[in-house]
Amino acid sequence: MNWLTVPTGLILAAAVIPLLILLYFLKLRRRTQPIASTLLWKRSVEDLRANAPFQRLRKNILLLLQLIALVLLALAVMQPQLQAGRRTGGKTVIVIDNSASMTATDGADGGTRLEEAKRRAANRIEALYGRGLFSQTAGETMVIAFSDRAEVCSPFTDSRPQLLAAIQRIEPTHGRSRIAEALTLARAYTTNVDPDSDRPVGDPATLELFSDGQIQDLDDQVLKGETLLYYPVGTPESDNVALTAISIERPYDRPTAVEVFVALANFNPEPVTLDVQLSVNGTAQAIEELTLGAAEPDEATGLLIPSRQNIIFTPFEQPRGAVIEVANLRRDDLAADNAARLVVPPPRRLRVGLVASTNFLVRTVLEGVGAIESLELLTARQFERLAADGAVDQYDVVVLDGYAPPEGSMPPARYLTIGAIPPLEGLNEYGRGEAQLVLDLKDEHPLFRFVNLEQLFIQRFNLIQPADDVVVLAEGSGGPVIVSVARGPMQAICVTFDPLDSNWPFQRGFVTFLVNAIEYLGHAGEAISATSFAPAEALTARLPAGATDLELRIPDGSAEGRIIRPVPLDPTMFSWGPIRVSGVYELSWSAGGDGRETRVFAVNSLSEAEGKIRPVERILAREENVLVAGAGGNQYMPLWPWAVGLCLAVMMLEWWVYHRKAYI
Amino acid sequence: MADFGVTTRPRPKRVDELIDGELMAKLDQVDVMSRKIFAGKLQGERRSKKRGVSVEFADYRHYAHGDDLRFVDWNVYARLDKLFLKMFLEEEDLSLLIAVDTSASMDWGNPGKFVFAQQLAMALGYIGLCNQNRVTLYAFGGEGVKPLPNLRGRRRTQEMGAWLLDLAPGGESGFNDAMRLIALGRQGKGVMIILSDFMFKEGYDKGLRYLAGGGYDTFCLQILSPEEIDPAKHGLAGDLKLTDIEDEDSAEITVSAALLKRYKENLNAYCGKLRDYCVRRGIMHITIDTATDLATLLLDYLRKRGLLR
Repeated sequence: MNWLTVPTGLILAAAVIPLLILLYFLKLRRRTQPIASTLLWKRSVEDLRANAPFQRLRKNILLLLQLIALVLLALAVMQPQLQAGRRTGGKTVIVIDNSASMTATDGADGGTRLEEAKRRAANRIEALYGRGLFSQTAGETMVIAFSDRAEVCSPFTDSRPQLLAAIQRIEPTHGRSRIAEALTLARAYTTNVDPDSDRPVGDPATLELFSDGQIQDLDDQVLKGETLLYYPVGTPESDNVALTAISIERPYDRPTAVEVFVALANFNPEPVTLDVQLSVNGTAQAIEELTLGAAEPDEATGLLIPSRQNIIFTPFEQPRGAVIEVANLRRDDLAADNAARLVVPPPRRLRVGLVASTNFLVRTVLEGVGAIESLELLTARQFERLAADGAVDQYDVVVLDGYAPPEGSMPPARYLTIGAIPPLEGLNEYGRGEAQLVLDLKDEHPLFRFVNLEQLFIQRFNLIQPADDVVVLAEGSGGPVIVSVARGPMQAICVTFDPLDSNWPFQRGFVTFLVNAIEYLGHAGEAISATSFAPAEALTARLPAGATDLELRIPDGSAEGRIIRPVPLDPTMFSWGPIRVSGVYELSWSAGGDGRETRVFAVNSLSEAEGKIRPVERILAREENVLVAGAGGNQYMPLWPWAVGLCLAVMMLEWWVYHRKAYI
Repeated sequence: MADFGVTTRPRPKRVDELIDGELMAKLDQVDVMSRKIFAGKLQGERRSKKRGVSVEFADYRHYAHGDDLRFVDWNVYARLDKLFLKMFLEEEDLSLLIAVDTSASMDWGNPGKFVFAQQLAMALGYIGLCNQNRVTLYAFGGEGVKPLPNLRGRRRTQEMGAWLLDLAPGGESGFNDAMRLIALGRQGKGVMIILSDFMFKEGYDKGLRYLAGGGYDTFCLQILSPEEIDPAKHGLAGDLKLTDIEDEDSAEITVSAALLKRYKENLNAYCGKLRDYCVRRGIMHITIDTATDLATLLLDYLRKRGLLR
C-alpha cells in the first residue's frame, strides 16, 4: 500500500485530534435551569447510569466515535492506494493494438485480448487521473488504436471521461499489427518544435503499448529518448490453427469447374487433427480431415515455426458465380483466421486474337485452353487495319507472337507480346542479349501461379531499359525477362524473348504461363484471386450507370449482418473503407427497374503473422528504453473514498448515538 | 423554555383574590368531615364523645354529691327511690388544623404551587370557620413554624386571609421539625390538613409519624405543578444544569427520552411510596395538580375522597 500525502494527513491529525480531546476535557456549558427540587432528577440520572451496561465505554463513546472519524479523515487525506501504477507527469500516449490477433478469446475473464487491453488501459487512465482532489495532475494523454493503420481515438487531453470513452469506442479489426503509423502519429502530436531554435521542445511522451506483442514492424520503431511501456495481454497457452492462404481457379480445360487450394498453419506446440469444410453459398460441399504437425522452435531465434500444410479440394462443377468458403471446424482462441472465402465469378469465355503467329507453339497451346471461346488468327495487316478502325477491343486478349506493330498502331486493349518488343513508351529496347537465367521473380503475381522459371535458360533475348512505371515481373541475369505495362485502359504483358530461343517449351510452366496470362488479361483484373480483399483495404467496385440506393451488408458477427447505406461520391464508382473485419460483404443497388442487383466481396484475414497469437512477454528486450509493465502492476485502487465513506458512516453512527442519548 | 416552571402569575394581594365570592357561596354548603368524633373545647355543631349538655340522651349514672339537681331523673327516683342523673351527648366544635408548606420549592410551577396552597388553605379554613370549627393555621418553611391559632366563626375570615397573604415562600421546609412542633404544641384532637409538595430531601417519615402518633385525622394534600408531572410536555429539553431553588443543589442532565421516562417512573414511585406510607398510618393522601380548578377540587374531588361533605 502506498500513501501519497502522508505529511498532510499527519498535520491534519495533529491539529484536529488534540483539539477534539481538549474540547472533551472542557465541561459542557450547560444552561442553568431553576427547578423546584432536584430530588427526583438526581435519582433518575443515577438510575440511568446504574442501568447502562458498559458504562465506562458508553461514557466516552461519542469521543471514541469522533476520534475514529477524524482518524479516518486523516487517513483519507494521506491518500492510501493499493498497487498504484507508474506515474507520469508528462504526456502519455496510450497505444492499443486492435489487430486480428487481439480478437483471440484468451483474455482475462474469458473476454478477448482487446477487451482486456481496453480494461487495463482504462485502469491506467484511472490511475493517472483518478487520484482525487489532492493529487498532482498527470499531464495529458492521447489514445491511439492501430492495426494496419492507426487511428487517433482521442487527441491529447486530460479529461478522464473523454479518454475512457475513447478507449471504450475502440473496436476490433481483423487487420495486421503495424505500429509504425501509430508511433508516427504519436510523435506528430507530441513533438513541439521551437520555431526559433528549430529543436524539439519538452520531453518526449511516454508510449504505453497494450498489445499481445505480435507486432510485425516493431523493430527500430522506438527511437532513442522515447520510452515504451509494454503491457502484455493474453495467455501463453493460446491455441490457434490458421488458414493462411486460399486460392480458387477454374481449370483451363474445364472452365465451368472450380478448384480450391487452402493452406493451413498450426501454431501450437502439439500436433492437431482437424476438419476443413468447403461450402458453396453456405452449403457444405466437402469436408477434409487434416493432421498438422507440431510447431517447432527455431534453434536460432527460439521462436516457434508453425507447421504448414496445404489442401487441394477435388475440382467440382460450379458453372455459376458463388461464394466459396473454407472453414477450419476446430475451435481455437482466434476465430478470425478460421475461415476464408472467395467470390467466384461465373466463367467467362474469352475471344483471343493471335497476330502474326509464326510458330506453332503458342497457337497450339491457345487452341487447347478451355476458357477461350474463340481464337482468331490475324495477320499483321489485318491487325493494323483493325487498329486503324479502332476495332481491336472486340478481342478480350490480343497475342502478338513475334510481331511488333508499327509505332502508334496499338490502340487500347490487352496485349500479350512474345518475342518482339512492342513500341510502347517506357520499354526502351536497345539491343539483343544472349544467354541468361531468371534471377528474380514476382511469384505472388497471378501470372506465375504454378509457374517455375528456375530451370529456364534463355539463349537470345531483347534488351530493354524499362521506365519506372513498367513493372518488371521477372528479372534475368541479362535484363528484364517479363514486364507489365499499363497505360490507362491499355495493358500489356511483354515477354522479351522468343520461347523457341529458350528451353521454356519443354517445361510445363510454359503452358501454365500462357493460360495464366490469357486469364489474367482476359478478366482484366477480375481474376478470382483479385476478388478477395484484406482488412484495412477499401472496397471498390465499378457501378453500372443508373445504380442508386446502394446498400452494403457488412458482417458484424450476426447471421444477418449490419446494413449501411453508403453514398458514393462518384455515381459510377463505389468505394467504402477501410474494411475492419473479414467476412462476406454484399453490395446491392437499385438498377432502375423493380429488382436490385447484388455484388459480393470476400474479405479474408490470411496473415500468418496474425495467426501467431502467442503473446510475447518481452518485446525488443535488447532495447533499454522498452519496459515491460507487470501483468497486474497497473491495477490502481485508491482507498481514500473508502476512508471518507467510513468516516461518514461513523459520523452517522455518532449522530445516532447522540440522539439516542444513551449516555447523559 | 427560558421560564420553564418559573411562576409567572403574581401572588394575590387581597383576600378576595384568594377566594372569590362565588366560591365562598358554594363553600357555605360544605363542611369538613372527620372520620372520628373528636372532643372539642367549645360546644359546637357536632357530636362529641364527651357527655354533656344537649338534648340527646346518652346514659344514666348514680347521683353524686354536688351534681346539678336539674339533671336528676325524678321519674326514676319515684319508681326506684334512688337518685339517677341523666347524661346527654354534648355537641362540640371540630378542631381543624391546616399546615401550609412555605418552603422555596413551593414557589414554582405554573400555576404556582404556593398560591395554590394559599387558595386551598383559605378555602378549607373558610369552610371550617363557616361551620363553627376551631381553625388553626400553621405555616412551616424557612422561617420555622408560624401559627395562627384558634379562629372561630365566619367573621375571622378576613383575619385568616390577611395572615395567608402575609406568608412568603422561602428557605427549606424543615418538615420533620415542623411536624414535631405542631404535634407537640397541639392539644386535643382534630382534623389536620397538610398542604405541601412533599419534596423533602430529608424525608417525610418522621414528620408524618408525629402526626399519626398524635391521633389526628390527617390529610396530606400533595400539590404538584404540571411541569413536575410532565416536564417534557412543558418544554424541558437540552443540556441543563438544574438548580434546586430550595437548597441551591444542582444536577447536570441532558434531557432524553430515557431520562424523562426514568423521571416519570421515579415520580410515580415517590408518590406511590408516600401514599403507601400514609395509608399504613391512617393518613389520607391526595395528589393535586395545580392546574386543577379549585372549585372542582373542593366540591367534587375532595368530597369524594372524604375530606369534605
